Amino acid sequence: MIQKSAAFPISLIFPPQGHFTQPYLALPCLKAWLEQHGFGDVALVDASIEAYDHFLSPDELSWAAERVAEKLPLDKFGESGELRFDELEGYRAAAESAVSASALIAGIDEAKRIVRGEDFYEPDAYLPAMRSIYHGLRLFSAAHFPSQLTPHNFTMRLANDRSEEVLAATLNEDENPFIRFFRERVLPGLIERKPRLVGLSVIYGSQLIPALTLGRMIKAALPDCHITAGGGFLAYIGKKLLAAPGVDACLDSLIFHEGEAPMLALANALQAGESLSTIGSLDWYDRSSGSAVRVENPQGHPIRLEDAPTPSFDGLPFEKYFSPEVVIPYDINRGCYYGECAFCTLPTVIGPGYRTRSAKKIVDHVMELSEKLGTRNVNFITDCMPPGMIADLPNELIERKANLRWWCDARVEPKAYTPEGARNLHAAGCRKLLFGFETATPRLLKLMKKGQSARATLDVARNCTDAGISVTFYAMVGFPSETREEARATLDFIRSNSDVVREVSLQTFHIDEVAQTYKDAEAFGIEILDDEHADLQLYHDYVSESGMTQTEAAEMFEEMMAAFREQLPLFSGDNIYYFMNKSHYFLHLARDVSPDEFVELCRRRTERRSTEQAVERGLAPATDLGLTTLPFRYTDVVRALAHPLARAVRPDFLTGRYVEDLIPRAGAEIGSIRPAESALAYSANGAEYTELSIDGKQVLDALSEVGSLDLLLDSLAGADERGRADLNRFAARLERAGVLSRTH
Amino acid sequence: MSNKQDQDAPTTSKPAEKLETLAEKLKAGKLDLKVEEVEERISPSETNVFDK
Ligand code: SF4
Repeated sequence: MIQKSAAFPISLIFPPQGHFTQPYLALPCLKAWLEQHGFGDVALVDASIEAYDHFLSPDELSWAAERVAEKLPLDKFGESGELRFDELEGYRAAAESAVSASALIAGIDEAKRIVRGEDFYEPDAYLPAMRSIYHGLRLFSAAHFPSQLTPHNFTMRLANDRSEEVLAATLNEDENPFIRFFRERVLPGLIERKPRLVGLSVIYGSQLIPALTLGRMIKAALPDCHITAGGGFLAYIGKKLLAAPGVDACLDSLIFHEGEAPMLALANALQAGESLSTIGSLDWYDRSSGSAVRVENPQGHPIRLEDAPTPSFDGLPFEKYFSPEVVIPYDINRGCYYGECAFCTLPTVIGPGYRTRSAKKIVDHVMELSEKLGTRNVNFITDCMPPGMIADLPNELIERKANLRWWCDARVEPKAYTPEGARNLHAAGCRKLLFGFETATPRLLKLMKKGQSARATLDVARNCTDAGISVTFYAMVGFPSETREEARATLDFIRSNSDVVREVSLQTFHIDEVAQTYKDAEAFGIEILDDEHADLQLYHDYVSESGMTQTEAAEMFEEMMAAFREQLPLFSGDNIYYFMNKSHYFLHLARDVSPDEFVELCRRRTERRSTEQAVERGLAPATDLGLTTLPFRYTDVVRALAHPLARAVRPDFLTGRYVEDLIPRAGAEIGSIRPAESALAYSANGAEYTELSIDGKQVLDALSEVGSLDLLLDSLAGADERGRADLNRFAARLERAGVLSRTH
Repeated sequence: MSNKQDQDAPTTSKPAEKLETLAEKLKAGKLDLKVEEVEERISPSETNVFDK
């Protein structure tokens, strides 16, 4: 093998924003493939985890707090006497920053330490730490208002589906936090390294603006470097993106579908100075004439999956992921063997074609990685575990004594997930399976072409639950023609089987251009609405002949979610963070805590937090307590913002779309907020916002002056039994919220 | 307590007077001791299927 490395450094970059619990798989697969074919100098950069880690640091949060105070001064809100709908988001951000910034700055390193260490396994440490991380991101986002970076998403002011706005966002340093981040934290390393080829992996819509921002900056700094991009999201909109004027300032080419073959061919061609015109599945700009002319090459063949080497994670900053242990992502197959579901686009954007590895190869690879990375946790990446593999893989894992713990997505296969099959899976280390349940309504299952019944799904789930495997159902609300009654039937079905199904991943239905629901809209009784300004449009609004409207489906989502939060212990109170960070919940299961034990742990925690406790006489305000008086009540604002209409005016996470003309309607329907003074409190220990009346604040002030609750009760001469009881109850609630703590 | 507004505010009444007012209100059952904790509502964007 010729060693081509020294002459041809390649950098593969995962741009923000992706999940922060574990690395993403695509780039390690590409790195291994390129290395196997002679490119020995391939560097991996997870700019997403680097950004999270950097933004959530005392220095960055201090910078953010100062910026929020300048950008969103609290006293500038409600100057008309009332707080208008369009002021709500800003007011909320300003109020939160004013009260929580100092506790967040002081506590963020500790929060990260907890989620990365052994304390992670202690819910009373983990949950406040996770809340601090969520709130820290809100503070950081507020400095770039109205942009929002959360653990699950990144959105800016405008939609993701208009190239003009997307490109403008790549230059807007005031609202795009990644411009400064790339300049200070990513570019210097690249300039030193001088890669000849950079590959950007864009899996999610939330990565589009950051990826183009970075591409633009690299092109400016390293004009000789070729910048290509690929990944799930670009498989959908890549053609439109390259056709959009101005994108040639950010990219040189785009790879469609799987990256191995095109990326290798691209590296070879660039190194040899050859034309790119013969590389399959690559679209590129031919700049030979002096301007950028778009060229679309024909589709190429993906590699034989069995030939792919063990993914190489070398160089990824494992210590920075928000996880105490590494969870290795590994793909057992690509594409979906079923491929029929009317709403699903996965089979079309991966491949082309469905391929799987052999059980032996899979186990060879994961055992090698487990040894190398010092972990036994694996997340098998598969759209659906194929039926044969449901038996072959566990058998191989057991035979080889792999002793791994793993989780993955699965399709309902009643013949495979029998009681014995499920027990075998558990014995082979399977601890969590996520099934596409979608709905309990047979009519809709048929329309969706799911090829399964709710009953069969339940039987499969029961077998898995009985074997000790945690089961999640993916469910969908708002499929065309679905009525409220049908959605409620799904809710009832899940509720009456909560001994089997403890988690539901609920989604609102949306239509993208690749799915059957778009291509054959009439068959689903819908009329697709086009947005003429959206040249990168992937998702579409629609009008349905029958059933719920899109807005009604959003309302139904709220109703169902509220019911789950009441019924499912894993969803109650702040236990929801386990569900929202599935890899974190999995790590508990990986330590052989059974799903039953974990649910019990969650239930007990919620119960403990909602029952009155005996009041400690030595209670005093928490040392890091932030307390601010507000002219408009925070809870009124949060409630108004949770209205489905208020949500619809923001770009949606997956679709990047937002409904512009809804703003006046939302304003009219939700109305303005009247002034009412209150006090907002926040401490790192509670890590949640607590609102008090002005009286309550005065009691808190008095408490800090006299020193403790018993001293206060003593000083309130003449307080009768009822008065004392009232004060004790007040103190107990504040202790639970972390506003008061015990003095020692 | 890190409360800027409190630190900057001019002291209008002495602690003892404040306590007296509180005690009176408490006695008359007129002290508003409502506490609201904000529970974050989960939006569809926070239950992303692709999240790990
Ligand atoms: S929903 Fe799952 S089973 Fe259906 S086509 Fe998509 S990946 Fe395959």
